[in-house]
Amino acid sequence: MSPSLTKIGALTAVLAGSIGLTGCATKGFVREQVATVNQRVDALDARLQTTDGTAQQALAEARAASGQSQQNSQRLDQLNGRVDGVEQRMQEAQRKRARN
Amino acid sequence: MKFATLLAVAALGLAVAGPVRAVETGKAAKAAGAAAQAPATDAPVILSDGATRVADWVATAQDNHALPYIIVDKPGAAAYLFDAKGKMLAHAPVLIGIAPGDDATPGIGAKSLSEIGPAEKTTPAGRFLAKFGVAAGKQRVLWIDYATSVALHTIPPGNPKDKRKERMLSPAIDDNRITFGCINVPKIFYNQSVSPLFRRKGGYVYVLPDSKPLEEVFPRLRVQPFLNAGVGDVGK
Repeated sequence: MSPSLTKIGALTAVLAGSIGLTGCATKGFVREQVATVNQRVDALDARLQTTDGTAQQALAEARAASGQSQQNSQRLDQLNGRVDGVEQRMQEAQRKRARN
Repeated sequence: MKFATLLAVAALGLAVAGPVRAVETGKAAKAAGAAAQAPATDAPVILSDGATRVADWVATAQDNHALPYIIVDKPGAAAYLFDAKGKMLAHAPVLIGIAPGDDATPGIGAKSLSEIGPAEKTTPAGRFLAKFGVAAGKQRVLWIDYATSVALHTIPPGNPKDKRKERMLSPAIDDNRITFGCINVPKIFYNQSVSPLFRRKGGYVYVLPDSKPLEEVFPRLRVQPFLNAGVGDVGK
């Protein structure tokens, strides 16, 4: 065996060892990180569901309020017309009658 | 030939539509006003003594302050319309308060028609500054005395039993007393003569009395002869 081949073999062995050692550390790290991320995703998912529920409720309430507002507006218009009529009748009643 | 006929018709139309120069009074005025408009002839006009005195005084003293005026002759049941310069423009028969009298009952202006008693239905005599206004029922009237609710207007659509139109058209004067105190005039007189003149600034209405002396209702008539005489003396 030539000395150069011996060197190459040694280098390869060192590289292979270092790669192997590094690979074991990365897997654990990744698992840890993934677990952390999963927890955060779960928490966010839960918060999202809560927020979505709140938003749906708010939307429903807003729709109800809008409907109520529309009804109120209609009633206000009707009342406005009635008040105008009453006011006109009052003015009419206050007008002096000529002695014909 | 046709042209000549047209000319003749046009000339006749001009003559009929000519300005009023004079007005007759009493029954003659009613007859002329039966069509409820100004007389269409140049016939001389004879007003009652009272109306003549008031007309002369207003014109001489310029008591109308450059406003048009109406003299309502209650005894003659007629109204005479003058422009701001004292020129008579039209006349018409009138309906007046059913009760003879020259005063208005205190507080009558606040009463409804049903509350007004028979003796209270008088047309008050006097000198009034009249203006157009809206009365109850969106009725546009010429208010003569707002405080006592006396106005000049056309015959209101009221009780047909009153026969107001018939009374206005009849030649008799006595039957013209039918209203609650207001002065009713023919539509054409109101719309075509009074309304255009009084619309902007109003005018004066002189209502002659039934029973009071003329000087009591129009005190300045007392001094007018002296003023006239004074003017005459100055001239001499």
